Amino acid sequence: MGRYIANRIIQLIPVLFLISVIIFGVLHALPGDPAELILQGAEGGAPPERLQELRQAMGLNDPLLVQYLRFLGGALIGDLGESMRFRTPVSGLILDRLGFTIELAVSGLLMALLIGVPLGMVAAVRQNSWIDTAAMGLAYVGASMPVFWFGLVLILLFSFTYPWFPPAGAEGLQALVLPAFTLGFVSAGPISRLVRSSMIEVLGEDYIRTSRAKGLTERLVLWRHGFRNALIPVVTMVGLIFGGMLAGAVVTETVFSRPGLGRLVVSAILSKDYPLVQGCVLFLAVLYLIVNLLVDILYAWLDPRIRYGK
Amino acid sequence: MTDTTKADSPVALADEAEPETQSTGKRAWRRFLRNGGAVVGTAILLFWFIIAPVSPWIVPYDPIDTVGLARQPPSAEFWFGTDTLGRDVFSRVLVGSQISLQLGLISIALGLVPGVALGLIAGYVGGVTDAILSRLVDAMLAFPSILLALVIIAALGPNLRNVMIAVGIGTVPLYARLVRGSVLSIKQLPYVEAARVLGNPPLRIMLRHVLANAYAPIVVLSTLQVGHAILIGSGLSFLGLGAQPPTPEWGLMSAEGRDVLRRAWWISTFPGIAILSVVVACNLVGDGLRSALDPRMRIDR
Repeated sequence: MGRYIANRIIQLIPVLFLISVIIFGVLHALPGDPAELILQGAEGGAPPERLQELRQAMGLNDPLLVQYLRFLGGALIGDLGESMRFRTPVSGLILDRLGFTIELAVSGLLMALLIGVPLGMVAAVRQNSWIDTAAMGLAYVGASMPVFWFGLVLILLFSFTYPWFPPAGAEGLQALVLPAFTLGFVSAGPISRLVRSSMIEVLGEDYIRTSRAKGLTERLVLWRHGFRNALIPVVTMVGLIFGGMLAGAVVTETVFSRPGLGRLVVSAILSKDYPLVQGCVLFLAVLYLIVNLLVDILYAWLDPRIRYGK
Repeated sequence: MTDTTKADSPVALADEAEPETQSTGKRAWRRFLRNGGAVVGTAILLFWFIIAPVSPWIVPYDPIDTVGLARQPPSAEFWFGTDTLGRDVFSRVLVGSQISLQLGLISIALGLVPGVALGLIAGYVGGVTDAILSRLVDAMLAFPSILLALVIIAALGPNLRNVMIAVGIGTVPLYARLVRGSVLSIKQLPYVEAARVLGNPPLRIMLRHVLANAYAPIVVLSTLQVGHAILIGSGLSFLGLGAQPPTPEWGLMSAEGRDVLRRAWWISTFPGIAILSVVVACNLVGDGLRSALDPRMRIDR
């Protein structure tokens, strides 16, 4: 197990390196000039001397490689530069908001599992009945729904028509319910489909027939033997779903006015705060990779074939 | 693709019982028509594809102009009500279909062309080229495409064209991986070998013999990705990172109604339903095509 974990961490290093190159490369090598973009809206336009000054201050006059190494070196020790708008370190801004985003992503993930797993189970057990069709139809619509729109519909129904939950903010569990449900519902589709097909497969296995033959009640067969084995493949999906959670959080945080990383990065893009954009995206990418690493380890622990299969 | 999998697939063997006179294409078409969801999806897509080009001439009002009082609820005069500036929401939703369909199709084209080219080269050439390209594709797939899209928009500036570029680039690795896989399996087949022995140049073999037989999964992926692109693109516009006012873009329209949601639910609601209908339709058609074109996939569903 230890060797497997070490191996996976070592595999991560080139990926991290490439991701830092991609993020840096896109932000610096594309034709847009950050200094010019910043001054575009400013009073008096962009006189050449101010442009030069700003480029110097931002370190844009150095060769690209020097700029990249400065970025990478800083990132390795947790220094992501300084936000141009807030005039404070990017890492501090990220850490201030990280809690809100993690809270949202984790509760959204739980909600997705709470919705997706039962839907898939019911559909599998009642395969080809109207229940199956309805469950899969619901999952289908959820997966095709724009996140922001579903959030707005929930606010309309459960904040305005029935004032049960606050429409905005991040104070207390009450405020978490609607955003978490929004994220959970739109991500439940793939989970329920996977649970359904995996459960159908498991139900066809010999050990299920055996346990039925030895006289176990149907409920015991389904729960003890079916359910537990059908859930293993779902674990692999959790990492992927978490990526969807990050994407969804960017939108959901705006819909529900939650002060999280997603909203931070959007406002950073709109205010052309390049160091903040770069830092946030790098941080989110690393977060996603770490979650996927943990999921892989969990899967290897659950299913020994993975550990030794290599 | 269909032909290569037939021999080892139990489901495909059952198909051999169908009349031998039918071509593969005809059989796939009949399978597609038997799928109720796919037919419904096709009907919805047809509706939007007919509406979109003619919408400027058939809508009751100018989509950009103030034509009534602000925030009027749906009525006989304004079917979907009016928005915060007194523009007709119904006209804006119909004309907005042009933008969303363009966004879906153009961004997918932007991802498909380089993605397929990269996949072909990696799969056909192999060796070091393949190793380098595959690493790059893996790195791009290793982080959520929305992050890449955000970085690209940050660099190029927030507007609709850049959203298409950003979403398109995000799909490049998907095509590259898919095509590379197909090429690797097709490359082994006798007829490709035969084409090579006959002295065909590599480019001709790649396009005429390899790509022509790898089209099915590309078509399926593209259909599904058009819906996905519309979903992501409208989300970015909702955030203010895509289409800018007064464009009648569905995501942007939803955002404009957000602040007056309590008093005027219709402004955000109708554009959202329009997005949902297009995306559901793309997914239904995509899944229908998948089960019609690729017998292997039919076992899952």
